[in-house]
Amino acid sequence: MNMSGFMKKEGVKSVISSVLCILAGVLLGFIIMVLLALFNDRTSIGDAVKGLGILLAGPFSSGNAAYIVTNVGDMIFYSTPLIMTGLSVAIAYKTGLFNIGAAGQFYMGTLAALMIALNADTNGSPAMGFLVWLAALLTAMLAGMIWGAIPGFFKAVFNVNEVIVCIMTNWISANIVTWIFTNTPDLINRSAGKSGYLITTAVTGNGTPKLGLDQVFKGSYIDMGILVAIALAIVIYVILTKTTFGYELRACGSNKYGARCAGMNEKRNIIVSMAIAGGLAAIGGALYYLNPGIELKFDTAYSQLPSYGFNGIPVALLGSNNPIAVIFVGIFIRFLSLGGDHLTSAGYNKYISDIIVALIIYFAGFSMFFKGFITKLARKKEKAAEEAAKAAVQKPSVEGEKTGAKADEAAPEKALTEGKEAETK
Amino acid sequence: MSNSPYIIEMRHITKVFGTNRANDDITLQLKKGEIHALLGENGAGKSTLMSILFGLYDPDEGEIYKNGEKVTIKDPNDATALGIGMVHQHFKLVECFSVLDNIILGEEDTRMGFLQKKTARAKVRELSDKYGLYVDPDAIIEDITVGMQQRTEILKMLYRDNEILIFDEPTAVLTPQEIDELMQIMKNLAAEGKSILFITHKLNEIMEVADRCSVLRKGKYIGTVNVAETTKEDLSEMMVGHSVKFAVDKAPAKPAEPVLELRNLCVRSRSSHKNAVNDVSFTVHAGEIVCIAGIDGNGQTELGYAITGLEKADSGSIIMCGEDITKKNVRYRCEHGMSHIPEDRHKHGLILDFSLQENMVLRRYLEPEFQKNGFIRFKEVREYAEKLTEEFDVRSSAGVDSTARSMSGGNQQKAVVARELDHDHKLLVAIQPTRGLDVGAIEFIHSEIVKKRDAGAAILLISLELDEIMSLSDRILVMYEGEIVGHLDPKTTDVKEMGLYMAGAKRDTVKEEG
Repeated sequence: MNMSGFMKKEGVKSVISSVLCILAGVLLGFIIMVLLALFNDRTSIGDAVKGLGILLAGPFSSGNAAYIVTNVGDMIFYSTPLIMTGLSVAIAYKTGLFNIGAAGQFYMGTLAALMIALNADTNGSPAMGFLVWLAALLTAMLAGMIWGAIPGFFKAVFNVNEVIVCIMTNWISANIVTWIFTNTPDLINRSAGKSGYLITTAVTGNGTPKLGLDQVFKGSYIDMGILVAIALAIVIYVILTKTTFGYELRACGSNKYGARCAGMNEKRNIIVSMAIAGGLAAIGGALYYLNPGIELKFDTAYSQLPSYGFNGIPVALLGSNNPIAVIFVGIFIRFLSLGGDHLTSAGYNKYISDIIVALIIYFAGFSMFFKGFITKLARKKEKAAEEAAKAAVQKPSVEGEKTGAKADEAAPEKALTEGKEAETK
Repeated sequence: MSNSPYIIEMRHITKVFGTNRANDDITLQLKKGEIHALLGENGAGKSTLMSILFGLYDPDEGEIYKNGEKVTIKDPNDATALGIGMVHQHFKLVECFSVLDNIILGEEDTRMGFLQKKTARAKVRELSDKYGLYVDPDAIIEDITVGMQQRTEILKMLYRDNEILIFDEPTAVLTPQEIDELMQIMKNLAAEGKSILFITHKLNEIMEVADRCSVLRKGKYIGTVNVAETTKEDLSEMMVGHSVKFAVDKAPAKPAEPVLELRNLCVRSRSSHKNAVNDVSFTVHAGEIVCIAGIDGNGQTELGYAITGLEKADSGSIIMCGEDITKKNVRYRCEHGMSHIPEDRHKHGLILDFSLQENMVLRRYLEPEFQKNGFIRFKEVREYAEKLTEEFDVRSSAGVDSTARSMSGGNQQKAVVARELDHDHKLLVAIQPTRGLDVGAIEFIHSEIVKKRDAGAAILLISLELDEIMSLSDRILVMYEGEIVGHLDPKTTDVKEMGLYMAGAKRDTVKEEG
């Protein structure tokens, strides 16, 4: 198989296009750093180059070996909620739905998990602590499923656009969380907390088990949450690709009329898919705040939605909605953010690094566009090769290119529309 | 003027899409003032060739000559400048504009930025008188019949003084009466010196109007014949490559017990306050083929939706094998003996992004043969899909792994038909089952449907193709404006009589006896 044949494989195309997105984002980020260096006396072009190096080094940009280990551990921990919300967006997308409500579902999961984990004091009994932790996680999942099913219900029964309902449920959940944590002291144990902050599971002893991971990555927040996330990603992958249920979800997402004509209940599938999406995002919230080291600042919750909810969208996009790819993308995005945090050492402030990371994430929306571009490139190469062969043999050769040049005919167009969609979103 | 006998000559045209040689060294010569038919199966390359002539595609090889002089046609504007006009299969009209506005669109006379329609109106009137193309210039397109819309398209070409007129399957959307009128119009046009290229796969029409006929098969040029010296059988053999039977071989029907009964079925229309299906009652028995005939848009689509469960009936009842299924969902109907070849294969028949094998089990994936504890049995699915594609000769680039989207329309349709006919079901609801298929495939599917009937299935066929209805049905029900207006016997009726019913000119008030 020649090069263009290799480039025609769906998976290969997805990976290459994702890498191209990242490179395009990094390039633009670098240009911005150069421009800033030119118009700012305190930084020079050399700083921009140094900045680029820091950005690409991620957690390794720190010189100190001990810090690097801690950074890597933290990178993995912070990527856990990203992976979960990424999975949430991805599975909804497979059913043709845009789950912009992951933020609200994340909050509902947080609320449910903390109401259990912070009220039950199990200090001294690790076994009980684990059981309470498990109960908290499952309750969070349930809460998220109910919360996610709401936009699904409105979409399926009244054909209300899920984006609108998702945005509304996002803000409703932000207000519910604030209201419960600020005004109902009976429902939540915040006795020993800092003002405006909840206590953590370190106080009640119901934190996520560490499984010795904190010994490997000394000084970091890491816990077994990442293992839960990876396991769930695999489960979702198996459901989508191997089961009749996943077959139905994909059919509904791809062509709901065709699915209905095949006897599938596309309304039920929409609700179920959104419920699963909600459950996944909620587990993300639970896994994040059940960590003994993470405090929730509840008094301003109503004014801001957790960025983890929205960052799930580029994670899913960059991973082409493939649950397995979402694991790697989630970690990668955290990798970049960590590099960004260290940009200050090159003379750029924290906000610049946020812009650059945002640019890369933004370019993730163009992954379908790059995919179409690769398809075209592969076809061009093939044509050139064909022509060369023609010239050499004086006879058209059609060997080795039956792999489906036509199959991708619709891809560039589709990529364009999807790219546009992503842009508007 | 040169001394070339041909007004348009396309010499050695080759056009390649990927690995597909859509046109392979095709030569087409059009004489001035003749009606030249271009015959071929679906996918034979007719549309590609015409698109090249109309400037929509660039040929990879070959040249085009007009009156003996070489010309290049880069886009439709070049084509128009050379006097080439085209009536597309799907009209390119602005629905909310008047006929006159549509005709002058792009060629408007203006004075100081204001439209001047007076001369245009006079010219349109003159043209319609000259060629017998009656239309009301002030009527709005969406209010007039399809036949009128087509005349508007023809007037558009004439208004631009085109002398080479391309008709792309112009009769597909017309009633028999309208087809007769169109044939007359084409003859008038040719008599006035216009040269006509007539794309079709209906042999009757070629025999009636064409002077010469060029045949394409699988992108290759087969030959050109004088229509007066040939027969339908010869033409079809040239087109398909082997001889084709026209009449469907079938024994007389032996209707048995009723399988599908409709009682006073009403379905409300989405676009107006009227009922799309109004008080329809009929019965289909085991072992017979009942056809619903009618012009597109007279409620057949809604009737099909209601019977198959895609939409709810507003009143009345649907009874299958003695059981009232009016309120049952699609899956229930499917599992209890209903097969359904939907009208729109892209919207309802297939999941285009799924592979062919995934599409083949679209209705059966829950059967134990194809799943175990909710996990798909991929091996069985593959084997089953391979068996079906083999039996029904469904062709695709990568076998059962090809995405449905990448397949040609005819093969997509064959896949749907294969899937639905493989059920041992009591009832088959086939809506336009041979849409977009070539003669060979139509013959095959017709014989499969007859086989189903003889095996004791009840078949309800909803079709717009009159030939199909005449040759396949045991009974014909004609639908007009949502009601059954005629109950005909194919042995005693003819296309003309059916056409009168279809156009609403004739109706029986007698209700059919179940």
